[in-house]
Amino acid sequence: MNLKATSRKNAIHVMVAYTGGCNGCDIEIVNAVLSPRYDVEQYRVLLTWNPREADVLIVSGVVAWQMVEPLKKIYESIPEPKGVVAVGACAVNGNVYKNLVGDIGENEEIWAPVDTVIPVDVKVPGCAPRPEDVIAGVVKALPKILEAP
Amino acid sequence: MASGEKRVEIEKELSFGPVHPALIEPYRIRLFVNDEIVEDCELNINMAYRGIEKLFDGLPVERALLIAERVCGICSHVHAWNAVRVIEGGLKIEVPDRANYIRVITHEMQRIASHLILFGHAFEVVGHETFAMRSFLLRESFMDLISYVGGNRVMPSVPIVGGVRPRADLTESLKRVILERVDEFEEKYKAYVTRIIEDPLVMSRLTGIGFLTKEDAIKFHATGPTGRASGWDYDLRTKMDEYKPFDFNVVTDESCDTKARIVVRALEIFESLKIIRQAVKNLPDGPVVNRSWKPGEMDFTTALLETYRGELMHSYALDSQGKIRNYKIRTPTPTNLAAMEHACVGDHVTEAILTIASCDPCLTCCTRAEVVDSGKSFVLSDLEIVRKYGWRK
Repeated sequence: MNLKATSRKNAIHVMVAYTGGCNGCDIEIVNAVLSPRYDVEQYRVLLTWNPREADVLIVSGVVAWQMVEPLKKIYESIPEPKGVVAVGACAVNGNVYKNLVGDIGENEEIWAPVDTVIPVDVKVPGCAPRPEDVIAGVVKALPKILEAP
Repeated sequence: MASGEKRVEIEKELSFGPVHPALIEPYRIRLFVNDEIVEDCELNINMAYRGIEKLFDGLPVERALLIAERVCGICSHVHAWNAVRVIEGGLKIEVPDRANYIRVITHEMQRIASHLILFGHAFEVVGHETFAMRSFLLRESFMDLISYVGGNRVMPSVPIVGGVRPRADLTESLKRVILERVDEFEEKYKAYVTRIIEDPLVMSRLTGIGFLTKEDAIKFHATGPTGRASGWDYDLRTKMDEYKPFDFNVVTDESCDTKARIVVRALEIFESLKIIRQAVKNLPDGPVVNRSWKPGEMDFTTALLETYRGELMHSYALDSQGKIRNYKIRTPTPTNLAAMEHACVGDHVTEAILTIASCDPCLTCCTRAEVVDSGKSFVLSDLEIVRKYGWRK
């Protein structure tokens, strides 16, 4: 591991972009990073709200129309190298809003899968995923950041 | 709001959001500031519009429950429960006592989890991270219990039409676990609350800001703990049939400020613990679900329920095939919104976010139409929309 990777590894900043889901995944993500039970801050993974500091962007929720442009802006202002993790069934495939079960019907109010808006590296399914899954998803996105030139 | 009697000259407009460090959910706050004193406040909530009510149209009720639960991730059980209560009231479906008790138990568990989120959020805004972390830690024991009962931490999906899912039936061992955890929790939580109330630093930050008098609370339709913190003794649980067997108090506070709103919620958790204990100890025997019902035509029926933030309304009709028509949800936050805006006025600008956070906004489940007309946006109420555009076809 070179010097760059070592120093990057010592301060992974995670940003949560909430794009209009139901709050469930959102709280589980904040839980995973902050709360004392799952606490990944002890491994120097920090929660930030500034895209210019962030390494990993966690996107949760269906992408509401109003949030498409802000999400693109957030993605563009994160410096390279960056990873994107889509958390929750809504962000991965649209959940009940995009005809998940087959006959619920599609909703035109939302842009569901996040990968139609920005490129996604890791997808964490589940409604809502457990904090352990969120942590595993973020860890899977790390090699891309650490091995970047 | 501030306009009316006398016009106030506004020096500066501060605008936050929709994605901002102090806000977890996407909403926009516009603070009109004069010499660092807030003169007017505007909350714009239409950042998470998902068109969820339209999805319900034409679905049978069992399938609609899937969607109803996904209206909100904090109060998921309440939405599922109230969606079920509408059809149970409308078609006169009898619910076994045991099912009602289990629904109440899950409801109160989620109430505790929800209030502890508020403490986490509010103390994060205050800047006291220790209290925020401790409340997140305390919350975990109830998230575990919800997942033992329902199988998922966030979406337990306990109620179905006519009762609760057989999976959520409480076994003897689970009853013992719940009672043990509740005792354990109460001990830790008492220490936690005592520390908050005795901490002069935190209390001085909370006391004396964000005033909302009782008259204003009633005028702006503040519901739930926000209204009760202004001395308005109104709790739907006292009128609900499901809560008849339980003995609990309605917590009110006369001091009307941000501290009162935090303290009312803190004390409400003790009442919830009381209800959980009574319900688990006196859990009646019998079936948990009544399957002998047929979907049929139903007129518009409304069900009201006291959630963690206030009064929740679900309303729909069933057509002759038992499919849902014109689903309507009114969550407590839109009714609290005017109260939040009003409570900010007259305070220093640094207190605005804290005052709004203390009213416990949950803005994901608000759905309202917004009309943008030549740069000036305003929000229509449901009735105005219906009058202007007619019922949804």
